[in-house]
Amino acid sequence: MWEATIDGRTLHFHLNGINNQNFIMRDDETGSWWQQVTGEAIFGPMKGRHLTTVPMDELSFALWKREHPAGRVLRPDPTVKEYETKDWEAHIAKLPLAIHARNKRLADREIVIGVSLDGHDRAYPVRSVIAQSPVIDDVGRAKIILLAGDDGRSVRAFECGTVELFRNGGKLIDATGSEWSFNGRAVSGPLAGTQLKPIPLLKDYWFDWENYHPETTVYP
Amino acid sequence: MFSMRWLTLLLLVLLSIAILLAPMLILHPFKEETLRGLTLAYGVKRYGLLVDLLALAGAIAIAVKLWGGRWWRKAIVSLAVILIAATTVLARVNVFEKMFRPLPNPLYASASNVKFVDADDMVMTVVHGGEAAAYPIRQLAYHHVVQDIVGGLPVVVTY
Repeated sequence: MWEATIDGRTLHFHLNGINNQNFIMRDDETGSWWQQVTGEAIFGPMKGRHLTTVPMDELSFALWKREHPAGRVLRPDPTVKEYETKDWEAHIAKLPLAIHARNKRLADREIVIGVSLDGHDRAYPVRSVIAQSPVIDDVGRAKIILLAGDDGRSVRAFECGTVELFRNGGKLIDATGSEWSFNGRAVSGPLAGTQLKPIPLLKDYWFDWENYHPETTVYP
Repeated sequence: MFSMRWLTLLLLVLLSIAILLAPMLILHPFKEETLRGLTLAYGVKRYGLLVDLLALAGAIAIAVKLWGGRWWRKAIVSLAVILIAATTVLARVNVFEKMFRPLPNPLYASASNVKFVDADDMVMTVVHGGEAAAYPIRQLAYHHVVQDIVGGLPVVVTY
């Protein structure tokens, strides 16, 4: 998700083509071409400029609704008949790939959580995070924690500094006995009210993440 | 002189077809793109209309000179001009927005009474300026680009 404004001007974007399985947008105002995954203009008057990332989450609807009961949800376009079905990821997995990952430790279409922090890129297979949550790891000089939601699908990550969380029964607690929630906030105990700094995540196929982040390492 | 005109007319037709097809073939979903290919596609999209219009003007000028004689001769000359005019129009069409219709005026429903999303469906979510919005992935996987303003911040949601 990107801010649509650059130099005080709001751009309007259109789907314009595919570059190695990742799409290109074109804006009406300058005619520049933008790479979706990096937010960088690759051709046109804006070439070399970057759109600003907007912090966002990929969550299950139930979990999001619990956190934001007054939120709004994008309606389906009634003129579109060919929306993806529930098992669309399985269909996409059967489509041919134009490029393949160089690091074969993960399958091309393994879904990873990509983290870019402190000049380092690191990929976490989603299934590992969900199986092992909380995952505490180092990216560059930053210590980070990845949490799976109680829906078993949603993932969030935070810079945790010296706070080390672990699971105790169904609860997420630290050494002081404070209890923490999935949105990185201490909800009770000595640290109650402390908010960890969220980290922007990119959920992506392994081959695509690796293609645009060639120096990436892989967890564990 | 005669055959020169026919040859030029043929080349103009081929040029206009190339301008139409090159970006479609290069920006194709199931093959590997190269920087040279992308540069070519961008150039063709950027300057294609100008070249197409020049080709059309040239073809009409040649057609005027070649006009006359038997009916099939007139038919071939007309067909060449019509072909160039047609490819000029078609090259303006965004094929990707024909495959995946855009959402120029997205509509929203309140989270409390949504029927079109299941509890376990994944949504992309943003919170800004006290406003929370969710974009179901199944819809994003079709439209790919949705433009919105959340808490006063213009955003483009991409998937």
